[in-house]
Order: sequence, then structure tokens, then C-alpha cells
Amino acid sequence: MDQEKRKLEQEQHEKPMSMVAMVAVTGLFGGLLWSSLAQFAHYLNFTDVRVNVLLEPWAFGAWKKGWIGTVFSIIALGIISIGVAFVYYWTMRKVKSMWGGAIFGLLLFLLVFYVLNPVFPGIKPISDLSRNTLVTSVCFYLLYGVFVGYSISFEENELQYREKNNTAAAPQETE
Amino acid sequence: MDKMDRKLPILEKLHDVEAYMKKRIGLGDSFDLGVRKLTILKKNVHFYYVNGLCDTSFIVQIVKELVEINDNEKMSSKLQDIVENRITHQSVSPVKTMDEMVDQVLSGLIAILVEGEGIALIVDVRSYPGRQPMEPDTEKVVRGSRDGFVENIIVNTALTRRRIRDERLRFEMMKVGERSKTDVAIAYIKDIASPNLVDVVKQEVKSIEIDGIAMGDKTIEEFIVKQGYNPYPLVRYTERADVAASHLLEGHVLLYVDTSPSVIITPTTYFHHLQHAEEYRQSAGVGTMVKWVRFLGVLASLILLPLWFLLLSNPDLLPDNLSFIGPNKHSNIPVLLQIFFADIGIEFLRMAAIHTPTPLSTAMGLIAAVLIGQIAIDVGLFVPEVILYVSVSAIGTYATPSYELSIANKIGRLFLLVVTAIFDVPGFVIGLTVWLLLLARIKSLNTPYLWPFLPFVPKAFKEILIRTSVPGSSIRPSILHSRNRQRQPSKS
Repeated sequence: MDQEKRKLEQEQHEKPMSMVAMVAVTGLFGGLLWSSLAQFAHYLNFTDVRVNVLLEPWAFGAWKKGWIGTVFSIIALGIISIGVAFVYYWTMRKVKSMWGGAIFGLLLFLLVFYVLNPVFPGIKPISDLSRNTLVTSVCFYLLYGVFVGYSISFEENELQYREKNNTAAAPQETE
Repeated sequence: MDKMDRKLPILEKLHDVEAYMKKRIGLGDSFDLGVRKLTILKKNVHFYYVNGLCDTSFIVQIVKELVEINDNEKMSSKLQDIVENRITHQSVSPVKTMDEMVDQVLSGLIAILVEGEGIALIVDVRSYPGRQPMEPDTEKVVRGSRDGFVENIIVNTALTRRRIRDERLRFEMMKVGERSKTDVAIAYIKDIASPNLVDVVKQEVKSIEIDGIAMGDKTIEEFIVKQGYNPYPLVRYTERADVAASHLLEGHVLLYVDTSPSVIITPTTYFHHLQHAEEYRQSAGVGTMVKWVRFLGVLASLILLPLWFLLLSNPDLLPDNLSFIGPNKHSNIPVLLQIFFADIGIEFLRMAAIHTPTPLSTAMGLIAAVLIGQIAIDVGLFVPEVILYVSVSAIGTYATPSYELSIANKIGRLFLLVVTAIFDVPGFVIGLTVWLLLLARIKSLNTPYLWPFLPFVPKAFKEILIRTSVPGSSIRPSILHSRNRQRQPSKS
């Protein structure tokens, strides 16, 4: 009896992180990681766009241009990125291929650099951007899109695999 | 050989058997095949053996016991039963076809045939030439067990069984190679490993059609993962029995190949190649630091050189406080060529060191250090910075625990260097992006290669970054789809 109960407990799969939490964490981490790397690329002058441009439309103090502004922007991007991850989750999570994420990233790039461009005076109009800035930004948005998109699609896929397999494998478990 | 021949039963007349053996396996032509003929109770009894593969002292004991039948028994009609009963060995099995008998004899077992019976008794007196388990050269640890795998599959499975006495541990044996008939064992723990994965691996091994696998596990690997010209290793090798056991417990499927002192761990990701037993032999904190330093080393081996070259050819990219980077002295040869010369020089050294006998390698080290380093600078061939950065990235290469991965990263580095040299900043950035995307696209047995970074799996990624203490990590890696995700039985 006791042993039986123990066996059952052992077989209980601990619930993997819930999908919503996973999407949020992926968004947050993706935002933090890629914006930090983008800031590093700016430090090495690969791109003229620094993360601080995010704060430009708002009337903060002088600190928004200093390193506090940078840290604040990276954190803010992380939080915004959670929302972006959910946008992917709601629209494109069924796309299995990694390239879905890449396209998502490119769309984001177009959104920020074309549509939202007037909001951020720190980003020059797209026709005035240097070649290095353009290439670096596209690559970062691409990688960010793949990171968020592929992760969410993969997890969605895994979830379905697990559900399908749990029901299918249940009778075998008793052997 | 046709089907009829395979099913040929053991011939009843012993001189027919002898004629068959002469024709089929060259008894008398090959010096290492032998037959010993005895007469017991007025009947012929023949032993077939391959010398060198069996232990003579066992055979002597068995022959002695059989010869004594003459003194102690009288019923010659029951000779077969008497012989079987008298064999002083635990592993005796009768076989009925010539083909099976030949296979067994060539594997080093002996076959005992009695006149007129049509049955061969196979006795396992194998004793293969080989070395004792000792610490593998490629995966040394400061603390920890020192019994590495050897070239004998039986010893290797025994080393694993010593660590996992679980009744659900399985070693499924198969023969691969039409001519070599090499033993390959698929190892997994039945209630942990994903049945799909086991099936896939089994199918892949079964479908191998080849003459022989003299190069052992590497050949098996190429059949299973079909990697083509992709330099990145898709399976992990280990020579350590404790590493093999811990992967079995995680739910991996392992392949043991006879004559290879390493086992194949499937499926593997990029990050499996960055693990080392050392960090699990130290406390969690130390292990974490070791991991991070190693990641830095691997990263340096990959991008330090291209990045430095990029900054050097575009000094305007450098931020003010890094402006010291870049050669002060005038150089006679383009820096890109210098980097290639130095990197290829190190590759010369590495290749030479593999097959140089130890007494000569000291001299080689001296020549390398003094001549290539200092004098190349003195005569103006290299600028000192080239030597510095090439050396750092070479050390980063050596700090990579997986030999296969370190060489693949080297190719990645040269690729980045070339595209950086041609296209400057866009080359470097696009090169890195393409490299990352190509790696993310690779799948080894349905496992994404960059898992858990891309696709990102938070919990598993935490395990990569931080070496958690064993009592805390109770979940098996989800990518293995193990049937039983808990590592430790929950307390009841």
C-alpha cells in the first residue's frame, strides 16, 4: 500500500512551467539579453543607436543620458519585451519553423525604424542611417525575433507532444 | 554466402566438420585457428579455438576433466550428455548451425563437438588482449574515479553496471558489420529513457550496412546522425564511466561499441559539450565559477580574434578608453596573414603533438616557444599582439572540454575572420548571426542543437548557467522526454 502510493507520487510529473509564465520569462530574458548585447555593440560603435533612445520622448532628468539611463532602458526594454512575446504567442505560436521568429523580428524592426521612428529623435530616419547601424540593427532584431519566436513555438509544440504522449503512454505505464 | 549455407546444421561426421572448417575459415591456412582432437570412450571429440582470444588455463582444465571421463565413465552412448555435464565452466550453450558455431569460434569461444551428435557446445573461455581500466587522458579530474572505459565492451558494460545496479538498466546487444561482426550495445534505463528515442536509435543501428567498423564508434556515429560536412559534433563521447552512468540516469541513450574506449551519448546539444566531470566533483559554487570561466574561454576561442581584427582594421570603432588596442609597431606583412600564419602554426603544433613520441615532444615545445614566438617577432614577421591574441584564443580552444567542439569552433573562428576581413562590421555581425542561426537549425535526433538557449527553456538554461547542487536538482532535462521526470523518489 505504502509502496504503491510512493510509486504513484514518483510518477506524478511535476508541472513544467506554465505556458504563460514561460512566455513572460522568455520575453523578459530575451529583452534584457539582446538589449544588453545591442548596447555593447553601440559601445564598440557598430551602431549609432543606443538603448537610451527609449527614454528620449519622456522628460526625465539628465540621468537618462548617463549609465543609469542605460540600465533603466535595458530593464524597460525587458519589460516591454514581455508584451512583445505575448504578441507573438497570440498571433504566431503555431508556426513551427524557426524562420517564423525571424520574420517576426524583421517586422519588429520595420515597426520601430519606420512607424515609430518619429517618436524617437535619437534614431535618424532610415535613409540617413549608416550601413553598419542598419546591418547591426537588423541582425539584432532578427536574433531577438528568433529567440522569442522559436522558443515560444517550440514550447507550444512540446506541450502538445507531452499531452499526446501522456494519454497514449498511460496504459504502458503499468507494465 | 547464400541462405542455404547459413542454415546448414552441424555436420554429424567430425571429419566433414573439419573439411568444412578448412574450406570456410581456412583451418590450416591461418595459423591462429586450431583444432584439438581427443578420443573419449572410443569416440572422437574435437575442440575448435582461435589462439590468442581464449584463456589457455580454462581450456587445459576442461580438457583434463574430459580426458578423465575415460577413467570414470563407461556409457559411451551417452557421451554427449556426459561431456556437457563435465565441462567445468558456467557458460556453456549448445548451437545447432555451422554458421553460428563459426561466429562464436571466431569471437574467441571454443566449440566442442562429439562424433555423430550434430551439436556443438560453445564454452565462453574468451580472454581478449587489452588493457586494464585506467584514467582517460582526455577527461582527467582532480578528484573522482579513475577507471575509464577500455577497448572491451564487456568490461565497459560491467563498469557501468557497477554504478547502476538497477534492474531496469538494459544493454541490448547487436552485431554491426557484415565482415567485422562488431558488438554494439544500446544502453538505457527502461522506465526513464523515452521509448521513441530508444526505437529510433535501435532502428538506425539495425539499418547500418557496412563491411566492418574498424574505426569503431566514430563510424557508428556517422551512420546515426548523418552530419555531412557540418563540423559541429552531434553526439558526445565520454571515456569516463561515471559520466556515462549519470547520463543514463538522466534518460539519455548510450551506445557502447566494442573495440572503442569511448561510449556515444545521444542525444546531445551544444551545451553538453561544455560540461566536464570536474565541476560536479567540486562544490556547487566552485562548479559554477568553473563553468563561467570555461564559457568565457570558449567564447574567446570563437570571437576574440575576429573582433580584435575588426577593431584593428577600423580604429575609429574603438571607444576612447580602449584606444590602446592595435599594433604600435609598423608591420611588414598584413595582419590578417599574420593571424592565419600563427593560427595555422598552432595547428601544426597540435597535430605534431598528437603523434610525436614524448622524448621528442619536449624538444618540439622548446622550438615552438623560442623560435616561433620570439624570433618571429624579432625578425619582423609578426607583431607581438598577433601572438598574444592567437595564443589566448588557442588556450580558449584547449579549455573546451570536448575535443570535437574545440576544433569545430576553430573552423567557426576562421570563417568569422574571413568574413570580417572582407566585409568589415557587416561581415562580423552578419557572420555571427548566420553562425548562430545555422547552429540553431541543427537537430541531432530531434533535439535542437542550441537547446536550452535557443529555443529558450528557462529552467534548463538555469542549469546550464549555474551548477545546482545535486539535492536541489530533482528534475530530469525535459528535452529527453523521459518517462519519469523526477530524479529522486519523493519522500512518503
